[in-house]
Amino acid sequence: MALTTKAAAGLAGLLALGAALAGCGGSSGSDGGTTITVWHGYTDVEAKAMTAQVKQWNADHPDEKVKLVYNSGNDNALQKTVAGFTAGNYPDVAYEFGSSAAALARQPKLIDLTDTVKKPAFNWDDFYPSEQQAAEVNGKVLGVPALVDNLSLVYNKALFKAAGVPLPTASWSWDDFRNAAKKLTDPAKKTYGWAYVNDGSEDTVWRYLPLLWQAGGELLNSDNTKPEFDSAAGKEALDLLKGMAVTDKSVYLDNGNGNYLNLFNSGKIAMLWTGPWDLSSINADVDYGITLLPGHDGNHETISGPDLYMAFDHSKGRSETAVKFMTWLTSAPVHLQFAIATGDLPLRKSESQLPEYSTFLEKYPANKVFVDNLNNVKHVRPNIASYSEVSTAVGQMVQSVLLGQAEPQEALDTASDQVASVLAGQ
Amino acid sequence: MARSLRLRAPSPWHLVLLPLALVMLVPLIWMLVTSLSTLAETHRFPPGLPSSLHWESYAQAWNDSPLAHWLLNSTIVSVTCVVSNLVLCSLAGYAFARIPFAGSRLLFLGILATLMVPFQVVMIPTLLIVKQLGLVDSLPALIVPNLVTPFGIYLLRQFFLSLPAELEEAATIDGAGRVRILFSILLPLMGPPLSTVAVLTFLQVWNDFLWPLVVTSSPETMTVQLGLASFQSAHFTNWPVLMASTLLSQLPVLLLFLFGQRYFVRSIATTGIK
Amino acid sequence: MTAALFPATAGRRTKPSSKKSADQRAAWGMVAPSVLLIGLFGLVPVAWSVVLSFQHSDLQTPATWAGTSNYRELMHDPVFRESIRHTVVYTVLFVPITLVCSLLVAAALNRRLRGISLYRLAVFVPVVTSTVATGVIFSWLLDPDYGIVNALLDKVGLPQSGFFSSPDSALYTMVAMTTWGWVGFGALIFLAGLQSIPQDLVEAAQIDGCTRTRAFWLIQVPLMRPIIGFMLVWLTINALQLFDEVYVTTKGGPLHATTVVVYYLYQQAFVYFHAGYAAAIACLLFVAILVITVIQIRVSRDRDLDPSG
Repeated sequence: MALTTKAAAGLAGLLALGAALAGCGGSSGSDGGTTITVWHGYTDVEAKAMTAQVKQWNADHPDEKVKLVYNSGNDNALQKTVAGFTAGNYPDVAYEFGSSAAALARQPKLIDLTDTVKKPAFNWDDFYPSEQQAAEVNGKVLGVPALVDNLSLVYNKALFKAAGVPLPTASWSWDDFRNAAKKLTDPAKKTYGWAYVNDGSEDTVWRYLPLLWQAGGELLNSDNTKPEFDSAAGKEALDLLKGMAVTDKSVYLDNGNGNYLNLFNSGKIAMLWTGPWDLSSINADVDYGITLLPGHDGNHETISGPDLYMAFDHSKGRSETAVKFMTWLTSAPVHLQFAIATGDLPLRKSESQLPEYSTFLEKYPANKVFVDNLNNVKHVRPNIASYSEVSTAVGQMVQSVLLGQAEPQEALDTASDQVASVLAGQ
Repeated sequence: MARSLRLRAPSPWHLVLLPLALVMLVPLIWMLVTSLSTLAETHRFPPGLPSSLHWESYAQAWNDSPLAHWLLNSTIVSVTCVVSNLVLCSLAGYAFARIPFAGSRLLFLGILATLMVPFQVVMIPTLLIVKQLGLVDSLPALIVPNLVTPFGIYLLRQFFLSLPAELEEAATIDGAGRVRILFSILLPLMGPPLSTVAVLTFLQVWNDFLWPLVVTSSPETMTVQLGLASFQSAHFTNWPVLMASTLLSQLPVLLLFLFGQRYFVRSIATTGIK
Repeated sequence: MTAALFPATAGRRTKPSSKKSADQRAAWGMVAPSVLLIGLFGLVPVAWSVVLSFQHSDLQTPATWAGTSNYRELMHDPVFRESIRHTVVYTVLFVPITLVCSLLVAAALNRRLRGISLYRLAVFVPVVTSTVATGVIFSWLLDPDYGIVNALLDKVGLPQSGFFSSPDSALYTMVAMTTWGWVGFGALIFLAGLQSIPQDLVEAAQIDGCTRTRAFWLIQVPLMRPIIGFMLVWLTINALQLFDEVYVTTKGGPLHATTVVVYYLYQQAFVYFHAGYAAAIACLLFVAILVITVIQIRVSRDRDLDPSG
């Protein structure tokens, strides 16, 4: 039938057109040597620094080339990597959030790095303990730290002066913090003492965890089989949040759109608990200071969320190149170069012993507190596949208390039951 | 009083349409304002007007990224899909509306059924099929699943149903074939619905993020939407540049709509058919 | 449905006239490319999802058979039950509001007026605007403490709202925001429909003493029934599949208040990697949408005078 042939011919034509156009793109031609693909989510300054480092690597290693590919945003990295295994176009090395490690642990193509990092030359213990633990799942090292940060207290000095409140110190207690926030709050001028990201996501959870840990609590038991946060410490931490958000109304509850930072810049919020990534977004006209989180009985511990480079197997040769490249990229002198270019914190303790470290401190004086605060990271979040479900339950708990929808004890009981059934189900 | 008002104001409908237009334009205005502000100005709340116009974000969006290459990829993919949809959906929509053929109800329901599946559900199996076809990480991978949309078939079928049946009865007596009736008599009357299918297919393919994200990986096959994501990161978003590049990427669509309106709104009365 | 199917098949077997069988072949030829493509990229993945819903899968390691356990677990999942309730409430509000608003906006735009093409462009803008930008703007406008909307409400003496920040108002705010985003789309299609109606019909009615408003409701709207039926089905399907807007604004919160079925499904599949469980949700959703759509089509067809519909 003429019609069918016509339509079929048209269709074939379209396909041919598409195929021809795809051909123009071309694939990475390798001339004898190995080429590995590295997926990253760096933008702006970090992307430029990374590109420069890869260029340096490629110049020194003509037979082991690295092709850098942008992953369209780290928020999508895990999903894209998992899809890559299905489609067969997965990378050799990928930047992943630390929380993704447990989900990828089940992936057969994932390269176990335990033996690599245990070699003396790698000097695994040079990484901060929190980074080491974030990279380990069930006793195996599945990634190399790519980025480390932590939460510290960032405050607007002008607002403290205006309210006549003494500036925060490294020895502040929870009460000092709460009282200051209350005094800094003015409903008439719509200013708040503190801001809390209250979208129920991990952003909500990881500001609660330092409070829980400071008060002596634990999220789960030591073998991650049962919840343990339904405790006196868990309640004390929630009581503080309830007291500030519901009783004092001294907390701006950010619904996840990131307004808190713009409000801080506009002098509407006096204190934030945030990390080094936010510093570049604080406007030049804001005079701010940084100190440790307020503490409980002198315990000022904080939380860190290290991200990782993970490697996936294509062939023996490519795997070897991938491991070699990751080792090089995270070695002290190479990473310090990256830190100086971007303001990222040092990954290895020995980076601060290198002579160029003074350049880093000169360029980013505010980051000193964050670097020092890395020593106050004592706990890590459990690296289990069901962590995202645990996080959802805890996030709902914190949110319900902040919104005044539940009493702390009641919220703890509900969340604890949910987490218990999640852990029992896996 | 009423008369003098009517004399002064061209039409009272402006009083309805102007506020409506403003409400609809809020985001565009905000995007424009943001794109002309400095980064520091976008880090304030409540957001305000920029102190002076800063065009450098547009230069940065254009120079710092292969925006032209992304636009080209998106255009190739979208235009191919639009052409293919217009042809295939017209054929199928007409057959479903006008020819009572064996199995038509069942087939039509089957096609409708695929409308009801959220893409998140079928993403992984679709990926497997595209892999079997050997198309992963190529522009055809973005084109082939969108060559025909159930939505287009359904919409055109409904419009064919609303055309008077007499139009083709005369032609059938003349002995003209179905395809000739469709292309020479009916389609010229279908300007508005066809342009609707064209615009909506274009938009759907142009704005798609999730599918290009998972099926492509090399910079050569990157589309505009994936590219735009590079101005956004987990912890830091450069709003002026993001908005400048978003506007640049939406400009073709808006211009297309503005100039294509003639086809959209050409009424049946003006085509000379009674 | 089957009644219409069998006579046609029988007719084909007995070859009543060459014209009829030519018609049959023409019809099959016309739908064949679409059917093949939709079969491959629409139905095959659906079949795969059905199989997956009886398995445990993390999308990375080989799946294992689960029998009906995914479905049984779903029956006792409180978040799933909540997500159904939210989806139903959302759909029941969103579909009629958007349908009526679109029709009214299309009517307002269907006239010869200086600058009408600019108005049409303006209404179309939300259809083009990226969901991310829309989400950001709305959460700024609707910020409970600093947003301009609450400031205006306060000025006119109306009570302020928590909008996306309060579990009591988040779902209704979602309805308002998505209606805003969809009205342009609906108006566009209805405008195409209105333009397809012969102008002389409307003019004749006006000569007979009908007001424009009456002519609109009594002549134009009934003539557009197939298109209104289409919009009803299309809006319903999209309402039941609400995802993007939730993803960029509330992420299902606060306190699950905007967790709708597809968002929950996404969370199960790509956050928790319970792909089998997610597929079971998808299959239930699929059946639900199918049933609702068939009912909608049947109801609109019963009133339809066109026998070929």
